[in-house]
Amino acid sequence: MLYGLIVFIAFLLLGDFLSALLAWPVPGSVMGMLMLFGVLVVRGGISAPLKQSSQGLLPYLPLFIVPASVGIVNYMDVVREEGLLIVTAMVVSLAVGIPVCGWLAQKAMAHKTGGRS
Amino acid sequence: MNLQWQNAWDAIWLSPYLGLFLTLLSFQFGLWLFRLSAQKPFLHPVMVSVVSLCALLLLTDLSFERYMDSAHMISQFLGPVIVALAIPLYENLKALRQYWLPFLLSNVLGGTITILVAVGILYLAGGSDMSVNSMWTKSITTAFALQIAPQIGGMAAIAAAIIMFTGILGALMAPALFRWFNINAAPAQGCALGVCAHAVGTSKALEYGSEQGAFAALSMSFMGILCAFALPFLLQTTG
Repeated sequence: MLYGLIVFIAFLLLGDFLSALLAWPVPGSVMGMLMLFGVLVVRGGISAPLKQSSQGLLPYLPLFIVPASVGIVNYMDVVREEGLLIVTAMVVSLAVGIPVCGWLAQKAMAHKTGGRS
Repeated sequence: MNLQWQNAWDAIWLSPYLGLFLTLLSFQFGLWLFRLSAQKPFLHPVMVSVVSLCALLLLTDLSFERYMDSAHMISQFLGPVIVALAIPLYENLKALRQYWLPFLLSNVLGGTITILVAVGILYLAGGSDMSVNSMWTKSITTAFALQIAPQIGGMAAIAAAIIMFTGILGALMAPALFRWFNINAAPAQGCALGVCAHAVGTSKALEYGSEQGAFAALSMSFMGILCAFALPFLLQTTG
């Protein structure tokens, strides 16, 4: 558990370092994830301790977003004034987005198998 | 014996561990409720936990600032856990070998369309800048969005609320939409759920099957990475 946590934080710091160095407005955590991903691809596998740590940590991801989400209590005026509008925009966007995403993928799959066989 | 009831109560109410304790407690309660309800999307543990904590903060003199001072240490795990997402990303990658084109098309084009529809409606209907900027993050999983929203003039907490509702509504609407529009292929269902409903969508996708789950998880990560790079460069920071 500890080994993986050290690796993850090391890559997080590396990501922050790189984002600052390049002056890119990309979160260091996302940079760090891409770097670790790159290392995994190059090495062609995941070491057992790293895998174990990720399995210990990832199930709690939803818990880690709770405190920041509670911050909405400071924006109850936005919720009151724009909540309904925001939900409407979301529902319409989903009603369009879900079929479009699915349809695009299915069309591309049909095209590929049709072309090959 | 003179019992100090007020001091004793303050020892709990003003404790630096209070926010941490309440967060863990409400989340555990959310997990329990979620399992008991056979995983109803609107009883997602995050939803239950956030709503009960919000209610407590609004009804008592416990301020968000004091809560966050204590719960902050939970938030600090967000960075390392995002890095850890590299591992499932790597493991799911083999699902892409055959279907990388449908995946990319669905994510990039479909993802752009669903974001633009939501932002467009909100903008045209006169939503405030803060809401519109936060809406850009609607197709990113919350962990990423909390870090991206402030960089594009949005508000992390508003983005988190938008994403939570998008995820839940998406997971609720997807089965009917799949039936009406004949979306039956596993990669297509997975991509649609991952792009439009991220984490909640991914758990829904896993109910359909492991292939759907893999594509949903890949889409969720890919959208997060894509938006992390694209949005801050496309949108000027207003703050």
